[in-house]
Amino acid sequence: MTPKVCLVMREFSSFNRAWTQILRNLGIDYTLCTATAGSTSASIQTPQGVFAAGSADLRGYFRQFDAVILCDHSLNLNDTARINYSVFWLSWNAPEDPAFLFFNPHFSTAITESAYNSNFPSDFPIVRPDPSDIAGTLEAADGGSATNGDPLIQTQIRARGACVLFLAENTRAHVQTICNAHTNNIPYYWRLDTTKHSTLASTTYTHRVARNGRAGEILAVPAPPTSSEDTETYPSDCVVAYRYRNCFWLPHALARAPFSVNLWDVAVQPFVFWLLYGLQLAGVRPRYRLPVQIETSRPLEALEASFNPPYSLREQCDFLLVSWDWMREFARRKGTAIIGGVTTGGRDRSASSRQHWGILYNTSYPAEAREAAMRVHQILVAGHREGTTPCGPHDYTIGGGDGLWGSAVSAGYIRHAGRQRGTPNDVPIARGMYCVAPHVLPADVADRGAQTVQVGDIEMVEWDFTGRTSGTGTTFDLPMDNIHAARMIIEGHIDEMLALGFPDGYCGGHKYTNPAGNNSGGECYWQVLKEFGFRGIRSSSNCTGIYIKRVPPNRIWHGFHLVGAQAIDNCGSASQFSRGLYLPSAPSGGDAVRHYLLDHGSDISANWATGQVAAWRAYRRLLCQTTSSWLHCTAVELSSAYFHPNQSLMCVSLADAVAPFEGWSRLGPYSTPHYNHAVELLENMDAVVRLLPEYLYWGTITDVMDHRERVMG
Amino acid sequence: MPVRFLKNASELADVSWETPLPVQVANAKPVPADTLLVATTTVTADANRDLLGSTSTELPTLDGCMQYRKLVWFYFRAGADSTTYRILARATDHNGAPLGAGWQEIVPATTLPGAANSWNRIEIPATTDGYYDQYRIEVQRTAGSNYTLTSKIVGVR
Repeated sequence: MTPKVCLVMREFSSFNRAWTQILRNLGIDYTLCTATAGSTSASIQTPQGVFAAGSADLRGYFRQFDAVILCDHSLNLNDTARINYSVFWLSWNAPEDPAFLFFNPHFSTAITESAYNSNFPSDFPIVRPDPSDIAGTLEAADGGSATNGDPLIQTQIRARGACVLFLAENTRAHVQTICNAHTNNIPYYWRLDTTKHSTLASTTYTHRVARNGRAGEILAVPAPPTSSEDTETYPSDCVVAYRYRNCFWLPHALARAPFSVNLWDVAVQPFVFWLLYGLQLAGVRPRYRLPVQIETSRPLEALEASFNPPYSLREQCDFLLVSWDWMREFARRKGTAIIGGVTTGGRDRSASSRQHWGILYNTSYPAEAREAAMRVHQILVAGHREGTTPCGPHDYTIGGGDGLWGSAVSAGYIRHAGRQRGTPNDVPIARGMYCVAPHVLPADVADRGAQTVQVGDIEMVEWDFTGRTSGTGTTFDLPMDNIHAARMIIEGHIDEMLALGFPDGYCGGHKYTNPAGNNSGGECYWQVLKEFGFRGIRSSSNCTGIYIKRVPPNRIWHGFHLVGAQAIDNCGSASQFSRGLYLPSAPSGGDAVRHYLLDHGSDISANWATGQVAAWRAYRRLLCQTTSSWLHCTAVELSSAYFHPNQSLMCVSLADAVAPFEGWSRLGPYSTPHYNHAVELLENMDAVVRLLPEYLYWGTITDVMDHRERVMG
Repeated sequence: MPVRFLKNASELADVSWETPLPVQVANAKPVPADTLLVATTTVTADANRDLLGSTSTELPTLDGCMQYRKLVWFYFRAGADSTTYRILARATDHNGAPLGAGWQEIVPATTLPGAANSWNRIEIPATTDGYYDQYRIEVQRTAGSNYTLTSKIVGVR
């Protein structure tokens, strides 16, 4: 049976293309229908004709779908019409009728249209929001503070936190949740008329989506606190998701904005969980499940004292050791692979402790630190061999620190020794002075040193490398804009990875890596990576450090994958490392709250010293924010989320680095709450995966690339 | 035993050079055109902002376009606020490296046609052929308020 849904919207100018992008990725067929108005008198324009919203013809038309999705919502509870036409569908409850998915529906009492109010089911158990009595009809959520801006269209910042308890699954998960919002920018959850709900919950009802055989079902509520420190509680009549017969009342899913699902400017869709959950509830069985995986950049590094970290080199390696051991075990249990971009260049070009090679072998560092680093390294190598922590090169020592083609010239480049392009071989480092395609090259024109190179589908004969070779020495200025330089750089990377003890330099069978700065270079680098056996590389859309290149529109270049990326650290990269969830003295971006602008109405910063709940609030918002971006990578972009272990884990307690967050009862450095980003993030995503078994599975970057070829080809 | 097939609904024919098996071409594009970009841009007063929101002046909006004779830019503008657009182009070598810094300006700052909520179409280049490797398409609001510009660019071989 082909999965098929119907999307109903008001107008394309506000239609979020992520709706269809996600459905494409899942292999769910869809039909787009438009409503001619927001009122009950609207007609629904379908590919098979125009039907009145309450007509039997429309009802019959809808019966070919697994689900009908309402795409529109409102930020203004005073609106009198938004999806009024859908009121009739609340009564289309026969087994033949599809499931109806209402995300962040507008059903406030400001709707005065008599046809709406007279057709609104009298037994509907969720209290209709009253804009003149918001406090009495809705529950202010997440501390009740106002977001600085429309909370429904935020993307990678300003998350609103929620730990949600899914009752049937008996699972808690942090997912961004807003049931309704208003012009005051406060997020709200719904209130339940418990009397009506009791009646529905005891009424037998037959429909394929009524898994408990009852007419009403509470699907999800705000999860009760797990600590007495967390005083953010909700009354027992508060709900965030409800099934009324075959109609699902669900939180906000996608912004009502013309976000393009362009491969360059995808805006993160932070509420996408609810769309996936709604589709699963509706029994829409996708053709494809989506692989969930995560990457790290710089799996082993340690900050020297000049960065003023709270821990010594040895202590940093200690918390990395415990955390990587935990992550490797997690990957084993879940069947995923946590990619690591190993800092290469440490052997030949930089011996700092931020380099994988440097912290292992630079004897100017304390032996105890190097020994601790070696234990981390051995976990990574063993994990690479067994497939749990595959590693590839990630080089900040070239291109002015910006990776592949990070600058026009990599000044003072120090190359590797041996192999085809290392010392002492004198090899080209720039394209020849003359380059002619072989099919138009006259005989006897190219000199004896001519080389044929192929970049994509362009083949050229190059000659006259006078002044454009490496010489026999080690150090020279390397122009980065050509295939000869790319070959030298990538060959050096592979050589160093092998010297470090990895059996290969491209994440084992995944044949992949993530480059420094997400700079994948241009065509010449992609060509060379293919020559060395790579299948793909993580890449920003502007894929050079000097911003002169773009990736192809579909992010696949001659079969080579240029996988998109979203960083989900708990601090900004410029601040070097995380001081925790929040630290008043932290620099800009130096804690999670500052980095993601999570301090709504100062409800964290103003209470940090006096109210323990502030830490739990910060914890919720951070987990929601980062899990959302990761899920967006999984479901919308088919890309990779990643974090930097040393940078993000600097706020753990050394006494038990992988302990769960416990508020103020377990402290990390700076006397702030301990927080292990790796543990919390992976455990929370695991809860999401368990909630969505028909839509998600723990996979690998190979699964992602396979799926990209399946749905993007 | 020759392989035979039904030809012209009534004639049974042997497979041969003269009468090959009838086949339907699969996986071939009916038109030599590709969708290259779909983007929603907030048009601001910023100078040098391209359709992808970047103000890095060396960064192309589109790369790898050598195979396209022409680009066709369709757009829907939500506002009528005075706006100019500018189109830059350049060629790269076979490594993908631009032949030099800067750009060839193939359309100088020009008023962006269209009223609020209007559909429009611009050919790049307007005359002759393109075959440039990289294009940079900039939009700048010169009066009024920010608005959204939704674009689609098709490459035609």
